[in-house]
Amino acid sequence: MAPWPFTPELRRRWLLRKAQPGPLRDYLSVPCAAPRLDYRRATYLAVDLETTGLDPKRDDILSIGYVILRGNSVDLASARHRLVHTARAIPEASAVIHQITDDQAARGEPLEAVLADFLADLAGKVMIAHHARVEQGFLSTACKRLFGHGLVVPIIDTQAIARRSFERRHQAYKGSDLRLHNLGERYNLPRNKAHNALSDALAAAELFLAQAAYADGGKGAPLRDFLQ
Amino acid sequence: MDVELLEIRDFLATHHPFDLLPGEVLDQLPRKLSVRYFRRGTRFPPPDADTPCLYILRRGAVDLRDARGELVSKLAEGDLCPTPCHTSEAATSFSGATAEDTLAYLLPCKELDRLRREHVLFAEHFDHSVAERLRSALEVMREEPTAGAGLMTVRVHDLIGRALVRADPDTSIREAARIMTENRVSSLIITAGEQLVGMITDRDLRSRCIVAGRSYDDPVRSIMTERLQTIESDTLGFQALITMSRINVHHLPVLDHGKVVGMISTSDLVRFQSANAVYLVGDIRKAPSPEVLAQISSRVPELQVHLITGGATADQVGQAVTAVTDALTLRLLELAEEQLGPPPVPYAWLVGGSQARREQSSYSDQDNGLLYADHAKPEDEAYFERLARFVNDGLNACGYYYCPGDVMASNPKWRQPLRIWRKYFANWMERPEPMALMLSSVFFDLRALHDTEGLYEELHEYVLDLSRANRIFIAYMVANALKHRPPLGFFRNFVLISGGEHDNTLDIKHRGIVPVIDLARVYALSAGVPQINTIERLDATAGTQAVSRDGAANLKDAFQFIATLRMRHQARQIRQGKKADNYLSPDEITRLERGHLKDAFSLINTMQESLGQRYQAGRFA
Repeated sequence: MAPWPFTPELRRRWLLRKAQPGPLRDYLSVPCAAPRLDYRRATYLAVDLETTGLDPKRDDILSIGYVILRGNSVDLASARHRLVHTARAIPEASAVIHQITDDQAARGEPLEAVLADFLADLAGKVMIAHHARVEQGFLSTACKRLFGHGLVVPIIDTQAIARRSFERRHQAYKGSDLRLHNLGERYNLPRNKAHNALSDALAAAELFLAQAAYADGGKGAPLRDFLQ
Repeated sequence: MDVELLEIRDFLATHHPFDLLPGEVLDQLPRKLSVRYFRRGTRFPPPDADTPCLYILRRGAVDLRDARGELVSKLAEGDLCPTPCHTSEAATSFSGATAEDTLAYLLPCKELDRLRREHVLFAEHFDHSVAERLRSALEVMREEPTAGAGLMTVRVHDLIGRALVRADPDTSIREAARIMTENRVSSLIITAGEQLVGMITDRDLRSRCIVAGRSYDDPVRSIMTERLQTIESDTLGFQALITMSRINVHHLPVLDHGKVVGMISTSDLVRFQSANAVYLVGDIRKAPSPEVLAQISSRVPELQVHLITGGATADQVGQAVTAVTDALTLRLLELAEEQLGPPPVPYAWLVGGSQARREQSSYSDQDNGLLYADHAKPEDEAYFERLARFVNDGLNACGYYYCPGDVMASNPKWRQPLRIWRKYFANWMERPEPMALMLSSVFFDLRALHDTEGLYEELHEYVLDLSRANRIFIAYMVANALKHRPPLGFFRNFVLISGGEHDNTLDIKHRGIVPVIDLARVYALSAGVPQINTIERLDATAGTQAVSRDGAANLKDAFQFIATLRMRHQARQIRQGKKADNYLSPDEITRLERGHLKDAFSLINTMQESLGQRYQAGRFA
């Protein structure tokens, strides 16, 4: 893999030359958005995963939810929620949070099919996630296992934006202040009672709209202001 | 469908007009939407939208202002922002800005148009003008009623005379007796939590406690009847009566889904039968004394409740209640004449305000005056003073309390021969002082009861001749009529007042009903028509120089809608054993009713504006 600090675009071009035909290669054939682009002209995909645990090496993806943003507008027609098949018993601790039972997980689709569709939708877009390390880790690990290479994508982490914004204003904050729903309240966002991958992806998408509206003062801002 | 978009679906399903769409259409609707976020203070709808859309507020608030920068509306969660999609309101020019951080759902006009084509009820919300919307709401309101008001059709829950009076099983007998005395009931329901466990009656107190020599400190459970016959709240009245006579009881606890909601007694049923205007008026004619009249008049609030339950409009209730007040007044005059002897000269008893307009609702204050023939001798005054006092006192005892402004026949100022009354009116119209204008709702809504010689007719014609010719007087009346303005509408659970202030409750009388009454009075005076009742005034002046046919029709609808909501509010209060008032809390009415009220307010406002402009223009011309 191309070493840090190459941009996702450079790494994408580099990987494209080596990639085998298949979903990942198709994904890589679409250029990444340029960091200088006005964020209102970019497209995004906000994603959230439910998993059996926090370790991408050992734990499984149970479900993936995502929705596409075109500029500063969330397109609900693009909303997807897919359950992923897993043979593994779901630990009680995680089942409590995402409410996915063993039965449901057994009825899920194969990860390869879900991931192929996801990659097709993600191509050319910026990925948005809250605490993006988890999504990036699991998706990249899965891509590597199934398609031979990790996932290369420009990322916006709404949690990191929130942290930077607290720090810039020299404002004290607690860990819980950075939670998706607590941040949503600060921006007067609706609170979904349901907790699953799609509702959290939508919540992250709305949070990003709010953060961007606060950052751009109505005059727009380059994408790079928000990227990891 | 996906559970997460289900939340958006449910949000839409609980908001008008999306609540009119069938379930399977609602299921698909979230996927047609996009979501946008606007910081507080941004233009709204946004200038950068590439496709025309309908905006549905999910969170936040938006201020809408007209071309002059005046706040015309304030939108909150669930409200729609008017857009080019609304063809009927496209002409309205306004500018909007978010007043809070706002999240909105956008539905492309294209999709909205498709929904409008496919769903007639949904389409009406957009296609109809404000006036049409209100008219169809009024039709629904009139169709709602539960048919005729007899025991054959009325349900037990509408017969419950008062709020539930109850006690715990461990209450002492003494305390239970005190509760019964305080609430003036002859039976008491005993509940443990919400569970009905028993009942005691006056008779139980006598036979199981006093006669049995039981201590008054024993718990009431020791004397209560435990095995109770109950009745469901949706049972028909006549079935309740049959049950009671079959098992020979006078009281039945009423249950609603297993929960006790009240008690019904044989006297409730009998009272219901007799609480209609015809019975009351019949009883009043036969009443031998003011004391008996006072007893009869205590049934007037029930009359109002039963009429409303039976689906009557405010106009019908007003006519019925006024018929009773008129009968009471006439009977008091008869009783007075019996006591004082025949009058020395002919006289007319004048009633003002809501009684004159036949728009009374249960108890109002009394407004009246006395007019006697010019040939009365000075010593005759004493007779009329005693007559006036007798009637005023009698009305007060009947619950029509003394007028706080002392506009009553017992006040010598309002007990005068015809020539003085003429002078009064001539003065008021030549020099419309604030005092005269304040009294205008009484004295320009005047009707005579008991006028054997037609004295009042003469006065009334004189007044109409004067007012028709007097533009300056009318201009003052116009200014007076514009004092009470309707609110702009609702914002969340508040009433939104012009200028952006909020009220917790809607003073439905002063902000909804009085403005129309005042407008109708101005129309009637400027056209010189004799009608007093607001609806009759609007009918009589429609299409004259005073008001257009459409304008009058719209005001009539607004008036009927608002007045009927008010009557229903008062009926609810009376049924709960509260004193009826005019303060409507926004959460007391449905979102749909709020929408219609807002339409009604805007129609009234339009008419006020146009009247104001006409007379202002006239004055400077």
